[in-house]
Amino acid sequence: MSRIVITGTGAICGAGATPAEICQNLEAGHSGVAPIEAWDATNWPCHVASTVKDYNGGKLLGDRKLLKLVRRSDVFGIYAGDQAIAQSGISAKRESLPETEAAAYADQTGCYVGSGGGAFEVNYDYFPLMVEAAGSLNTFGKELGNMVNPMWLLRSLPNNVLCHISIRHQLKGPNGCITNHTTSGLLSIIDSAWALREGDAQRVVSISHDAPIEPQTLQYLDQVGLVTQSNVLRPFDQRHDGCLLGEGAGAMVLETEASAAARGATILGEYLGGADMAEGESLFGVRPDGDGLARAIEAALHDAGLQAAEVGMVVAHGNGTPGSDASEAAALSRVFGSDMPPVTGFKWAAGHLFAAAGMLDAVVGFEAMRRRVVPGIANFEKAASGCEFINVSATAQVPRSDVVLIVSRGFAGTNAAVLLRAIDFVS
Amino acid sequence: MSARRRVAITGVGLVTPAGLDVASTWARVQSARSCAGPISIFDASGFSTRIAAEVKGFDSLPPIDDAKLLKYASRAHRFALAAADQAIADAGIRPTDADATRWACMVGAGMMTVAHEEIAAVQKSCAPNGDMEPDRLFDEPVAKDIMAFSRSLSTAGIGLLLRRYGIRGYASTVHTACASGGQAVGAAMRLIRRGVADRVLTGGFDSMISPVGLSGFCLLSAVSPDNDHPERASRPFDLTRNGFLLGEGAGFLVLEEWESAVKRGAHIYAEIAGDGNSLSSYRITDSHPSGDGPIQAMRRAIADAGASIDDIDYLNAHGTSTPMNDRSECAAVNAVFGDQAMRVGVSSTKSVMGHLIAAAGAVEAAICALSIRDSLMPPNANLQQLDPDCNVNVVRDVPRPQRLRMALSNSLGFGGSNSCLAFRHPEETAALIAAGR
Repeated sequence: MSRIVITGTGAICGAGATPAEICQNLEAGHSGVAPIEAWDATNWPCHVASTVKDYNGGKLLGDRKLLKLVRRSDVFGIYAGDQAIAQSGISAKRESLPETEAAAYADQTGCYVGSGGGAFEVNYDYFPLMVEAAGSLNTFGKELGNMVNPMWLLRSLPNNVLCHISIRHQLKGPNGCITNHTTSGLLSIIDSAWALREGDAQRVVSISHDAPIEPQTLQYLDQVGLVTQSNVLRPFDQRHDGCLLGEGAGAMVLETEASAAARGATILGEYLGGADMAEGESLFGVRPDGDGLARAIEAALHDAGLQAAEVGMVVAHGNGTPGSDASEAAALSRVFGSDMPPVTGFKWAAGHLFAAAGMLDAVVGFEAMRRRVVPGIANFEKAASGCEFINVSATAQVPRSDVVLIVSRGFAGTNAAVLLRAIDFVS
Repeated sequence: MSARRRVAITGVGLVTPAGLDVASTWARVQSARSCAGPISIFDASGFSTRIAAEVKGFDSLPPIDDAKLLKYASRAHRFALAAADQAIADAGIRPTDADATRWACMVGAGMMTVAHEEIAAVQKSCAPNGDMEPDRLFDEPVAKDIMAFSRSLSTAGIGLLLRRYGIRGYASTVHTACASGGQAVGAAMRLIRRGVADRVLTGGFDSMISPVGLSGFCLLSAVSPDNDHPERASRPFDLTRNGFLLGEGAGFLVLEEWESAVKRGAHIYAEIAGDGNSLSSYRITDSHPSGDGPIQAMRRAIADAGASIDDIDYLNAHGTSTPMNDRSECAAVNAVFGDQAMRVGVSSTKSVMGHLIAAAGAVEAAICALSIRDSLMPPNANLQQLDPDCNVNVVRDVPRPQRLRMALSNSLGFGGSNSCLAFRHPEETAALIAAGR
């Protein structure tokens, strides 16, 4: 099996607008968490989030007309995808080819996207119509065309990023849009890698995006008991008391070694393996022993042909909820025993990006590994009970190899794990 | 390298406008009688389109034997649970403690996840003037109801399925609009081929027959406005077609690694042999009139199955009955099959049960499995005058008896994703295996 290489990455979140900037902010201990901007949340138990700073949709898209057809979450996805594609040079290469070769090139370029959709906010577009209808569906139907944007459905499609990035960059190969909530990001990478392994594509753009900072989502999460009441997300720390929201996107270009070599692309690293495992027990909860996550990591190691001792750093899910943190620590202990690599996580600074979380963690973890640094969790003070053995630090550590493990967990007891190798970018 | 793992379909379950199970759906599809009618599940009197193909009599179905789980299920999730129960029972196998980690679940889920009553309740109390006033959410019961939250998640459906059957392996939900079901089933097949799983529960579920769901399509003029003749509204390939007919429901399949299915003596409907997947990268709602996009999906499916165009006897078309889709799809059929195009029977079962959106591809995969089992092509209803731009061999009005060596199923989505699945008669597969292929 030939290697699957990474030739471009992109990211945007509350902690920065490129992988390098995010990584630098993490290393400096700068969190992107600030008072919620989307609404006046002064009275809310959790009134902070990690919001993308100085948002300008038209600027991020580089196309004001497209802004009418997409939502905030989609803007992040297209922006991050553009970054990764530009760095990799795959579109520039296609544009340099004669027509028939360019068509074949497009057919061999795929795209997998992890998307959150946006469960509540999309429906708010109907509120003015519902006021007008005052409970009468007959009036609702009659006034529909006068009060709702005719493009509403197309703006609301969960697969919008897949659609528009493919039109913009002529991606016509195998594709998918994963809407599996918080594991979507890593699943989009795993799907991309398989499309290359199986020879169905030569290049794949993998993107995940989400923008869940909306009041109804926050209130529901609070009702389930997952939201921090202290307004600080402290992964694995004894004071951890819940999660907070983030937004943004991550992207990477994966390709076959031959495809990268054909245009002399700079290889940043490679995909080694990945896996996904459900627990099949609870709709919201996780098993205290972290069984599903441990099995996902073990299966990913098997897929990559690696031993646990070869993992140089772990980007944990680390969402700061006591149940998730403790079970995640249990899973890491089961896999690594006393031979624990440095462990970190980024949600303390970037918040929880839901569908984009795993992808952001992968892109930023990969960037950190290129810099040969394990950024600390700046607000970490003392390990929570059960989390004492997982090698988390407030300050930066040094990875023990060039392999980074990224894990992601979601509702429905789902767990994903991905292993990447990063080439040292100073050498 | 050892021979590629093959994948068998051993269980099928359907909840559709044509029937609440496989037998009734299949009989209705063969009768070529449309399931369309006036919308009854909400007051659609003010909408430009007031017709749909609803799942009827569902509430009289015996519920699954888990009342607690049903509280976490929306209308589409209840379709999914019922269809999945049928598929598992039909396959006669379910996850055990010993093999649950080798079972996967791969579903195509719809995009509308919040029930209209819940949207309306939140609007009434929290957005009295049309704009959300977030602090009002503190006192709104719907916004504090954890079950409502659970139902709204994009993973709500797969969560219920994982829990009900104790599936502990790979789990993923996909959504590429009308291609969702096809892509989910194709991805499920690949999980077995890759060795990631040995058995997969896979399918699609959707219900967009709701005020907001229907609104989206009315605003785009994508649905047929033939309110006075609902039974004629879905007429794929007809010169006068004017939009699709909205349906709802669920289709589920149990897929198994071929050898293990044979070994346990399972009834095998068909081999799911090929998955072709492409992007049109043209417009949001259409593929190119030349068929570019769908062409690649069909060619990839045939190649992926190790087959050639000579092997294909039937195509279950996407056939939405919209002017642009049918034209582009038929252009693709002609491009792919060339001078053999007229040999291949083509029908769109959406002519009978409407367009089940995210469920469509999975339901139509099940229809292909049944077509192969019974050696007949299901008919295309309502074709009176063939559009000259839809120059394909349509199976008109009555089933066409013929042993099907291989069948294809197309699902082409808004957003440009195209899925084509290839199915092979189990005897043909057995012959290939015997020949060492």
